[in-house]
Amino acid sequence: MKLHEFVVRRLLLLIPVMIGVAIFTFAIAHIIPGDPAAIQCGDKCGVIVDFTEDGEPISAYEANRIRLKMDDSVTVQFWRYITDLAEGDWGESLLYHRPVVDVVKDAAPITLEMSFLALFIAYPLGIILGIISAVRQDRMFDHVSRFFAIAFVSLPIFWFAMMLQLFLATGTEHGGICDPIFGTEGGCFPIYGRHDPSYTYPVDGYAWYYPAGGTGFHLVDSWFVTDEKLATLPSEWGSNWLLFKDTLFHLALPCAALGIASAGSLLRYMRASLLEVLHEDYVRTARAKGLSEFRVVIVHACRNALIPIVTILGFSIGGAIGGAVLTETVFAFNGMGRVAVTSIQYLDFVVIMGVTLITSVIFLLSNLIVDITYAIIDPRVRLE
Amino acid sequence: MRDWDGGKGNRDESLRRLREALSQSKSDLSRSWKIYRRSLLAMLGLFMVISVSLVAIFAEDIAVEHPYRNLQDTEDKWSIDYEPRRADPFSEECDWHEQKITTNPNSPLFSEIVVAESDDKVGDDNRYYRDTLSVIQFIKLEDSLGYDLNLSLLSIDPSNSSLLVLSPELYGNTSLYAGVWVTYEFDNEEMHHWWMPDGYDVCIFGTNDQGHDLFSKVVYGSRVSLKIGITVATLTVIIGTIVGSISGYFGGRVDEVIMRICDIFFAIPGLILAMAFVAAMNQITSLTIPLWLGILFPIFVLAAFSNTYLNSTVPDDDQISEQAMSLIMRYRGVLLALVGFIFFVGWMPGASWPDFFGISESRSWRAFAALGILTFLGAIILADRRFFLNTSFEGGLGRIKDSFDWTNPWRYLTFRTLAVFVSLALLFSFSGSEGEEIVLIKDFDRLWKVQAALIFTGWPGYARLIRGQVLYVKEMTFVEAARSVGARPGRIMFRHILPNAWAPLLVAFTLDIGGTILSASGLSFLGLGADAYTAEWGLMISESRRYFLLSPHLMLYPGLAIAVTVLGFNLLGDGIRDVVDPKNRR
Repeated sequence: MKLHEFVVRRLLLLIPVMIGVAIFTFAIAHIIPGDPAAIQCGDKCGVIVDFTEDGEPISAYEANRIRLKMDDSVTVQFWRYITDLAEGDWGESLLYHRPVVDVVKDAAPITLEMSFLALFIAYPLGIILGIISAVRQDRMFDHVSRFFAIAFVSLPIFWFAMMLQLFLATGTEHGGICDPIFGTEGGCFPIYGRHDPSYTYPVDGYAWYYPAGGTGFHLVDSWFVTDEKLATLPSEWGSNWLLFKDTLFHLALPCAALGIASAGSLLRYMRASLLEVLHEDYVRTARAKGLSEFRVVIVHACRNALIPIVTILGFSIGGAIGGAVLTETVFAFNGMGRVAVTSIQYLDFVVIMGVTLITSVIFLLSNLIVDITYAIIDPRVRLE
Repeated sequence: MRDWDGGKGNRDESLRRLREALSQSKSDLSRSWKIYRRSLLAMLGLFMVISVSLVAIFAEDIAVEHPYRNLQDTEDKWSIDYEPRRADPFSEECDWHEQKITTNPNSPLFSEIVVAESDDKVGDDNRYYRDTLSVIQFIKLEDSLGYDLNLSLLSIDPSNSSLLVLSPELYGNTSLYAGVWVTYEFDNEEMHHWWMPDGYDVCIFGTNDQGHDLFSKVVYGSRVSLKIGITVATLTVIIGTIVGSISGYFGGRVDEVIMRICDIFFAIPGLILAMAFVAAMNQITSLTIPLWLGILFPIFVLAAFSNTYLNSTVPDDDQISEQAMSLIMRYRGVLLALVGFIFFVGWMPGASWPDFFGISESRSWRAFAALGILTFLGAIILADRRFFLNTSFEGGLGRIKDSFDWTNPWRYLTFRTLAVFVSLALLFSFSGSEGEEIVLIKDFDRLWKVQAALIFTGWPGYARLIRGQVLYVKEMTFVEAARSVGARPGRIMFRHILPNAWAPLLVAFTLDIGGTILSASGLSFLGLGADAYTAEWGLMISESRRYFLLSPHLMLYPGLAIAVTVLGFNLLGDGIRDVVDPKNRR
């Protein structure tokens, strides 16, 4: 099978899964108790807003039902939902009174930035420690690192995040272990949020100095803040580098909380994978040739040991997005996870549908990319 | 005339074989234990799991305070209003008690000698009672407006340290309002435990803002967490094994559809799916099934079992059943259309469901019934010829007559009949007297919802795992041999394939208990799990977020408890993996 055939086949396989996810979210949203028409009008449901042609009064509640077309049969509603989805109309949030697409567009970059950075930290860390652990098999380092790997997988993310806050973000007088490194209050890392609140000085509003319509990834956007906006900031903040550093510092603790479990599991996978490879014949050949142990492990063994690790990437992205629900709640990031929690708490099922769909799209696409990468690295996969 | 001695040789032979198998499995176990013992981490894990389980079992003896327990509820609610005050771990304030004393001589409650009593407590029989406290010294005396009074206005009775004597000035002074608040240190003897050093008592972990003893709460929390973990892991294993083995054994279209359904589950992050599912189950207060289903299901089970039994006793070349089957197959399209018609009519607002099945009108029930019909539909489409072959009921009466062997009733005492009767008994013991419905779970409270959500999101992982195992074992020679002597799929599955595929399942089961505890506490942390003031570790952390800076111990101990429990199960699972899967052991 050629590579492009493989890609096309995988893309076609995505379609039934996506339809399945759509059916699924639709079903769950319709099982969730609560009448969206009643939620929208709140305590003004009885107010007469209009009259029919026969002179019958229409209450706000009935008007909402008509507007949301809730009297149609479920099959019709589902068909309309699918066609609307295809046209890019994901409905309007009952809670935020904004289109769901906008809500998701604001929230998704936050989660993605955090998850990707977390994996970006976790991967090198897990892989390097896994290599060392495998090379020093059954020595002290191996035992200790394996124990910590399991321990980090076992930690509840939200608790670990709060512990990080307690020790690294509260300062020594509150029981923390470090004091501010620069400028900020509290400990050496900011306690929550995406920015230092003093950055919003002197204009109210949150991230006003970031370019409107930017990517939403503030690590990127901070470099595109124009000079006249920087000039309005206090002089000690007024540089792109400091904005970037501020964003990075705010991301540090959430990413640590999110990435630590991935790093732990990666260490274990990498160790097992490398140990398997180290018993292969070609490694023995390489050793027999008189290559240095470093070269044998890094060049000959690791290249093959890393191949299975690629597949884990797909699952860790899903895990990171799931874990982001907890991390964002602790660190007050308004990402997808927080939106999901709020919408479920307030039974805003339009947003629940949107968020579930978009997370599954992200997950499926990243898995697709991982699979294609895998097929490129290891052509045997395509042959099946 | 039967020859009763004829069976003796057989019995001896089977006994010998049984003994052999037992000793074999015994030596296998001891060998496994030897391998397991080698790993320090695995032993640590076993120790942790055993100690957490012991704490959970003996929670009533270890804990100092006890929750208010509604016997019909599945959870322990902590609604004792002990003293609404937070105390740090190991602080002496835990021996302090605040009590109101009426000082108005006209009040019916007034008395010059007041007994020092604890707050209301709830006993095992759900009745309120109060303990008598023996006072050591007074800490503070306040009038009802909160102003300090002189401590000498009150004194302890020299003969009985639990009696407080009011001085005449205290109630003679009319400028005072109706009562005073006294804070005193009492002898906390009854709360000391033999295994705790002197002075460490109810406050070993401190108390939370409601005055609940954190230590007792953490101890009771182990029950909730272990219960959730083990229930969910067991049920997901059962569901996943059934689905996965069907998928792996039959292959083809069945496999394709089941795996696509699993893909859908994998595509949505588990926690978000579980959250949505918990929210969806918000209004269900008790889990019931309609009576017709409750009656039909055991009958189907019975029919299926007796059918396989009949098939094994009677030669299987019946022309009638072949004809009937081909008839069904010929009108398969009509059958499909009929079921599809029912399905779509069900969704239409005009047609009412109660007319069809006598079930309630709610949206969730429509969805469940529709799901059931969908499953049926899918089964008909997918199961194909095989489905009809395995459930042909033709010529049943005659066969039943032939197959009854009254001379030896013991032959009916097989595992299958037992399973059928147990399932019947369970169904009817759970059934309440609520009209046309059978109650499966009476109080479908939030913990049950969490468990249902985690089962719902968890089974696809096991289905995939078991499918892989079955695909692997299926190709082995002994399965081929079993098939060639004419064993049926069910027998091959349960007797030949699954016993050889259980090893990774055991590992996944152990690891999954830990994972489930993590997810359940995460859900509780988000406010979607246990009810307020339940002794659930995730909820305790969530409730302590408000006192994050002031009393970090409130979140420290529950979090440590989660970490230790999950770590224990993970280490145990790793150790078991080393034993059962020699490839990873290096």
